[in-house]
Amino acid sequence: MKNSFVELHARERAEALLDDNARELVGPLDNMISPHLEPQGIVPESDDGVVLMRGTINGKNALVISIEGKFQGGGIGEVSGAKIVAALEKALEDNKAGKTIYPVIVLDTGGVRLQEANYGLLSISEIHNAVIALKKYVPVIGLVPGRVGSFGGMSITASILSYLIATKKARIALNGPEVIEQEAGVREFDSSDKDLIWNTLGTKQRLATGLVDEVVDDTVDDIKKSVSDAIDAKKDAHRTEHVDFYLSLLDQLDPSKKLDIEGYRKLYPEVKAEKHVIADAVEGTEPGTKSRGRLWFEKLTGIKNAKSSVSTVLHAEKDGKEYVAIVPDADNKFPRVRDGEVGLEEGFAVASIVNKVVADDADKDVKRPVIMVVDVPSQAYGYQEELIGIHVALGSSAAAYAKARQAGHPVIAFIPGDAVSGGFLAHGLQSNRLIALDDTSITIQAMSKASAARITQRTIAELEEATKHVPAMAYDIDNYEKLGALYKLVKGIGSYEATDENVAKINSIIDEAIQSTVGKPTDLHFRYETPIAVESGRKATNAIRKAVFEQWNA
Amino acid sequence: MEKLHYKFETKNPIQKPVHIGVVASGDLEVIFRPTDSDETVVSIVTGSDGFKEVWQNVLDRFFARYPIQANIEINDFGSTPGVVNLRLTQAMEALKDEK
Repeated sequence: MKNSFVELHARERAEALLDDNARELVGPLDNMISPHLEPQGIVPESDDGVVLMRGTINGKNALVISIEGKFQGGGIGEVSGAKIVAALEKALEDNKAGKTIYPVIVLDTGGVRLQEANYGLLSISEIHNAVIALKKYVPVIGLVPGRVGSFGGMSITASILSYLIATKKARIALNGPEVIEQEAGVREFDSSDKDLIWNTLGTKQRLATGLVDEVVDDTVDDIKKSVSDAIDAKKDAHRTEHVDFYLSLLDQLDPSKKLDIEGYRKLYPEVKAEKHVIADAVEGTEPGTKSRGRLWFEKLTGIKNAKSSVSTVLHAEKDGKEYVAIVPDADNKFPRVRDGEVGLEEGFAVASIVNKVVADDADKDVKRPVIMVVDVPSQAYGYQEELIGIHVALGSSAAAYAKARQAGHPVIAFIPGDAVSGGFLAHGLQSNRLIALDDTSITIQAMSKASAARITQRTIAELEEATKHVPAMAYDIDNYEKLGALYKLVKGIGSYEATDENVAKINSIIDEAIQSTVGKPTDLHFRYETPIAVESGRKATNAIRKAVFEQWNA
Repeated sequence: MEKLHYKFETKNPIQKPVHIGVVASGDLEVIFRPTDSDETVVSIVTGSDGFKEVWQNVLDRFFARYPIQANIEINDFGSTPGVVNLRLTQAMEALKDEK
């Protein structure tokens, strides 16, 4: 195809967007490859699949971050993630100092690079943090050219960006059809039905339902013009701020009937956004569906059999701290969240709660701490979730937590249960301190073993072998500690051992964690600076950050 | 994945580093760097095991035509000998590029 943008590689795409003055930062000659791929028998790339370029777009200062979809599916690992985060943070610094620079992110990515699993999740949450901070100064423009599209944690990124431009060759979704089929069965989503996939996740449908802002023809000129126009007009779709709209939409949905493409096209324009306020959880008569998250929420807040208008989302204030938990509900009207997964309603409800906390405290000098009780086995794997745009639900809660933290609320995640994948990105990873129980029942990962094996075309045995060499691939909290992201790993308290004594101990650790944020930056840098992170866990991250900082100004 | 190393006696030192290609399916990236050593070292990481001799033949042919002195790194994701030769030749063109 003549003058196609999609057919270009990441480096050529960045050059095509910029005027004739592109300068690459931390390029292939800087020898910053992923240290985690070769130990698993995977060929690395010298730029780790991310190209950073500075220059101008029609005369305006710009940073283009271009992800190479052809290398490992554009997956985000430690090095590629750190490159993106470091560049965004420098752009933030410049914008704060009055030196306007417009970031553009070319998304061609499957999301977390499953071979570096937990690094991918950490990195993507750090990208979300930087984007939210930048949006106060400049629009952060996203471009999804295809062929990969934007999936997984990076679809959450797509939802957070100010303005999203795509071609007809792209798809955007949280969970790919193969993963949904693996997790929920072929009747939920048939991954061999290409028409169904494109009609559901393709950009035509996404444009009609507010998940993409503009669909352009695949030519270099058209795409550059769209990006440049978006910058000039400072376009912003505020996609993760339509919480009341989506909660109203979900009220009107009959989950017993399977929503199809036409049905949703008809419903979407008819929805009127009505104000939703989710009241504090109150004491109930019947115990709710048992989970580690529910147990600790009830013990920490003192509310027995806690119940709420959104049965899977509990929140309450106790001793000046706002606690939020996502819990299972065996009878929930949405079948895909019955085991505690984060679905549409959960993401938007959490966002609504946290946004209200921030609004209520806007004029206060001391902001209320927000404590997330984390026990999320995953995000919801379902067809209608993808059709409506579950990535926006998760993006809305991630954005709400990030804004709370950036506004000065100490945001603390307490992990007595699972912390997996998109669920963890939405509810957990935007905290500036992570506290976890040292319990072997806790799973902390990007994808289940069965799905990860299918997507990376390895056997489960091969996958388990790889976890021995690369801690980020592992599924347990002890290996997670090796990454250096935890504020504290609490020994001697099991996930279900919420005795009065243990609750008091956790309370005092949470208070210490809150104290540790006082007077400290409201970003996520804590994770790079712990002794474990510096020594080994984020060594590559810190090296990349240094290199990007050194090369930022020519 | 297999790591391969080759050495060649060559005589024309290169003056600047160059990079070509992408580690995509059926493709590879090639990096040439200037060296002080009087031999050329080629270090290859390839996703396709068992092609040591084929690589030797492709490289023999390349250095017979372009006896450059350089440190060469290759990350390969299953490219054919024709593609390898194409990328190496593109790297030679990039060396000549004044930009």
